[in-house]
Amino acid sequence: MCKECGCNHKVPFGVKVLSWIAPGMLKPRVAESDGASTTSSPPHSIEIHTSLLAKNDDLAAANRALFSQRRILTLNLLSSPGSGKTTLLSRTVDEFGLGNRCAVVVGDLETDNDARRLHRPHVQVAQITTGTACHLDADMVARGVKALDLTDVRVLFIENVGNLVCPADFDLGETLRVVLLSATEGEDKPLKYPPIFKSADLVLLTKIDIAEVLGFDRLQALDNIRRMAPRAECIELSARSGEGMEAWYRYLESHLTSVE
Amino acid sequence: MHEIGIMESAMTFVLQHATENRARKVSRVVLRIGTLAGVEVESLRFAFDVVSRGTLAENADFEIEIVPASVFCQGCNDEFIQDTAGYIFICPTCGDLCGEIRRGRELELSRIEMN
Repeated sequence: MCKECGCNHKVPFGVKVLSWIAPGMLKPRVAESDGASTTSSPPHSIEIHTSLLAKNDDLAAANRALFSQRRILTLNLLSSPGSGKTTLLSRTVDEFGLGNRCAVVVGDLETDNDARRLHRPHVQVAQITTGTACHLDADMVARGVKALDLTDVRVLFIENVGNLVCPADFDLGETLRVVLLSATEGEDKPLKYPPIFKSADLVLLTKIDIAEVLGFDRLQALDNIRRMAPRAECIELSARSGEGMEAWYRYLESHLTSVE
Repeated sequence: MHEIGIMESAMTFVLQHATENRARKVSRVVLRIGTLAGVEVESLRFAFDVVSRGTLAENADFEIEIVPASVFCQGCNDEFIQDTAGYIFICPTCGDLCGEIRRGRELELSRIEMN
């Protein structure tokens, strides 16, 4: 069933590693049966207290254990569409990625455009197409990661589906959450979309090279981020001009030592 | 946006317990939802109607217990309850901005009643 509106369209889910598709990964999810029984019994009430995200949380814990065992720093990149996640990663894998082996799992509803943009001889990319799902979940990431050869990989970037709402609720097993806010989006996005900013370990203020021409108030944006996520670090950068990229690489470097 | 998916997950647990207890009918389903869980209560109600249709839980009473946000202030080494809406947490004692959420993200199936 479609998870957005409850219609009966089957949701096509796929994982695609550039230039080859892992067998068996494009099968639609199988709906679970309700297995209802009609046998009678006296009325009673039972306490359950089960997390509704328990299934995802268990799978995320398994992902986290795998990343930890392989000493891989894993970053979940979240933002609205068009804030510059793929541009940031393209430059990052070309610069930081030359000395530190990187891999990418990227999620979109459709197309493998991002995987093609990110693919390099030294970078493996798994494209996940979610169909209509508006976020990546831990199971999708597990399947994407399974399609990659993690040998010598030090940093795994998970580029989430562009969406400032739903991805906030789904733990993927990442080490760190990175939320991007671009100068084109306006200073008040952290106030309008609190949960995702609240969950951030790092906020990247992107496209900072064009902030001035847009009349983007950087200080106001930084203040809004601080109010929403007082403990998150914040880096201003532009993947086009290169401004701030060194600070981003230093951040990655410092956290690499924490997983080693 | 993903309330249907969350409710499908809840319904899987509900029907599993109903089957294990040989229930004829599920009469009440109670969820515990934190004010910071990021889900819309009204959307959950709609989702419950959709996913319970044709199951043992169809027409069951659907109840949501709201869990208020509790936030930890490092400076005061104490928790405070955020009883107003919003995601900006200011400690009522020292006035500092706080970010460590201790409660309020709950998204739980709490209780079911059946016969």
